[in-house]
Amino acid sequence: MGLHRLRQYGLVLLVLSVSLAVSFLAWQHEKNNAVLDLHVSLDFNVRDVSSRIEQRMAAYEQVLHGAQGLYAVSGDIRREDFATYVNALQLGADYAGMGGIGVATIVPASQKDNHILQMRQAGFAGYDIKAEGLHAMYVPVLQLEPFVGRNLATLGLDLYSDARQRAAMDRARDSGNAAISSKLVLAAEKNRAGDADTAEFLMYLPIYAAGTASDTPAARLTNIRGWVFAPFRVKDMMASLYGESQAATDVRIYDGVDTGADSLMYDSAPHSRAKPGSKDASSRDTQRIVATEYITNGGHTWTIVIGTLPGYDEQVGKDKSRLIAATGVVLSLLLTMLTWQLATGRERALALARDMTRELRASEARFRYLAQYDELTGLPNRAMFKDRLHHAILQAKRDKTRLALMYLDLDNFKPVNDSLGHHVGDMLLSAVAERMLACVRESDTVARIGGDEFVVLLPVIEHEQDALLVAEKIRHALNQPFEVAGGHVLEVSSSTGVVLYPEHGMDEVALSRNADNAMYKAKELGRNMVRLYQPP
Amino acid sequence: MLKTRFIFMLTMFVMMQAALFSAAATAAPSGPDCSRALTLGLHDHGLLYSARTGTGIDKEVADELARRSGCKINMSLMPRARIWQLIESGALDFSLSGIANEERDKFASFAWYFSNKYYLLVRKDCKVRQLSDFEGDGKLRLGVIRAFRYSRNANRLVDALNVEQRVTYASSLDPLYKVLSSNRIQGMIIEPFDYSQVSNTSIRDFTTIIETRDPAIPHGLIMSNKALPLKEREKWRNLVAEMRADGTMLRIFQKYFDPELARSMVNF
Repeated sequence: MGLHRLRQYGLVLLVLSVSLAVSFLAWQHEKNNAVLDLHVSLDFNVRDVSSRIEQRMAAYEQVLHGAQGLYAVSGDIRREDFATYVNALQLGADYAGMGGIGVATIVPASQKDNHILQMRQAGFAGYDIKAEGLHAMYVPVLQLEPFVGRNLATLGLDLYSDARQRAAMDRARDSGNAAISSKLVLAAEKNRAGDADTAEFLMYLPIYAAGTASDTPAARLTNIRGWVFAPFRVKDMMASLYGESQAATDVRIYDGVDTGADSLMYDSAPHSRAKPGSKDASSRDTQRIVATEYITNGGHTWTIVIGTLPGYDEQVGKDKSRLIAATGVVLSLLLTMLTWQLATGRERALALARDMTRELRASEARFRYLAQYDELTGLPNRAMFKDRLHHAILQAKRDKTRLALMYLDLDNFKPVNDSLGHHVGDMLLSAVAERMLACVRESDTVARIGGDEFVVLLPVIEHEQDALLVAEKIRHALNQPFEVAGGHVLEVSSSTGVVLYPEHGMDEVALSRNADNAMYKAKELGRNMVRLYQPP
Repeated sequence: MLKTRFIFMLTMFVMMQAALFSAAATAAPSGPDCSRALTLGLHDHGLLYSARTGTGIDKEVADELARRSGCKINMSLMPRARIWQLIESGALDFSLSGIANEERDKFASFAWYFSNKYYLLVRKDCKVRQLSDFEGDGKLRLGVIRAFRYSRNANRLVDALNVEQRVTYASSLDPLYKVLSSNRIQGMIIEPFDYSQVSNTSIRDFTTIIETRDPAIPHGLIMSNKALPLKEREKWRNLVAEMRADGTMLRIFQKYFDPELARSMVNF
């Protein structure tokens, strides 16, 4: 029993743990897949943003190539012509962020004063080269179109004296290609909150002396005359990029490969980041996925960093791990319950079968009993008596012994039944049977074969007298008053017919008939008597 | 007499015209079609092309192709990923130093002119002895140029690391060298024309070069199948073959590599 129970519990636990383990694995797998999806999606984003920036930079470069081409045609371009040219470009929203197109030419120190004088004569009375200290050469801004607003203040600004600008200008000069400068924050706007809001950069293309072949670095160094350039505000450039931006992401651009606050040029969601060190920051950072890509434009590297913001996974919307976990647990529990039902169901079915078999056997036994015994008195019934009589005759025949058969009928039983009811009659019959049994040996048979008819079989007797003695004993016993339930005291008598084998018949039919006749004879002669069969 | 002479001269003139015409007719198909300006994409990559100086092997090969063909070839500098994209779409005719793979063979044709092996450049402090060591250490990140493909083992390494989110992408080598110095990546895949950048700078001090155990991979002129008809591509292929045959290619390579390495790269 214990071992069986243990096996059942073991099976149920096994099913539960296996199904939970499978659910767990599926959950883990889906979770990993979801994270992988997030990475792939973010990676796609960073590539997309990078290529959009690269294309935009190529477009900017193309515009500058136009201005460069103007100088390739003629080394000497009048201010008005340059302004007309820039105006004719009609730079619209696609070139948002471009603060203008300018030109800056080389002024050797020896020609500085001459240059200033020329400019003042040209109408810029307050013109001067704005440079700190003395240099061998200056590259002042001669023009920055459209010449309005902020651009006015740049006139005469020596770009070459700023180390960051110089590096880009040298790169453009040496390669003949476009070069962009490091991040620049204009002095006037430095105090405003967030450098990234005002970060700018300049793009340069070299101008070589018209008509010269500048296809080697050495030739380019010799023939350089100046630069066309354009200032860009990163924030405006990013605002004008075409294409859809993924929601719940933060795009940041850093100047160079360092991702420190000083290098930050652009942040699409500056307020989304939790303050470093706050509790929120650490919990968010664990979920934050970041994709980084380094892009090089005009010989200068920018780092594009795209980070997820809370809710990004919902945007991507593929994380079904929670659903899988919940479904897995529910299914595991259902499967466990089913297993429990199956495991214990067999036992319950067996118990039921056992009960039913027992009942069947009991009813069978009862049926068999009823087929052979009288239910009321517990005495053998007619069928069994017939059988016993048959066997007893056979036995007596074989042994050459004698037997006695008595037919007994209660006198005046019917009135008892009619006046006091069947239940009293039944009680009386039972009591009669009990008394009759008390008068015979165990080997003798007392049976009830009808309403108030009884038979007694004495299978072995010596003398006729033995049978009559027993018959008288019974008659006498039945003459004693009966006290039955309900306080009734009843008095009955009996009439008995006795036959002997082999004297009064050789078979049960003859014996029975004769015993019955003898019993009727007794009734005729006044009842309450024993009458031995008298052959006619 | 005069008449005979005139007829003779006329016959000679006609014959000369015919000869000239047929010469022109046979000359035309031997060279590429230059009726339009062609486009060629350059990418900044070590000795192949330096955006800083505007010079390099690719630039010289391109100049020589332009000279021999007589075609006007507009060259522009762009990221390698964009070059492949434009070659595929047919918006760009040529690029240089490309290697083939199954996918690229569908949209591009190649004219091979040199062959070289790929190597793994790793930081010494990450104790990597072979490619599998790098893959085995989950902390190590590899820097890769977007859209680059390599030899078999190197490709396998990049693809495996990519699945594990262990690859950092850039559009040129320069930022990768920088982040290798600052230990944000621990390795890069390089080719012989990147040696000079490694050996002439501080990178040499903290890195070591590991063999990929792959054979040398042929590199060549990339031609867009969409932009150039098969016949034209064949002509350009012949042009490249001529440059190899007459020693021009070797001479270009010898400017950048020691003679032995140059020979081994060009003669494959």
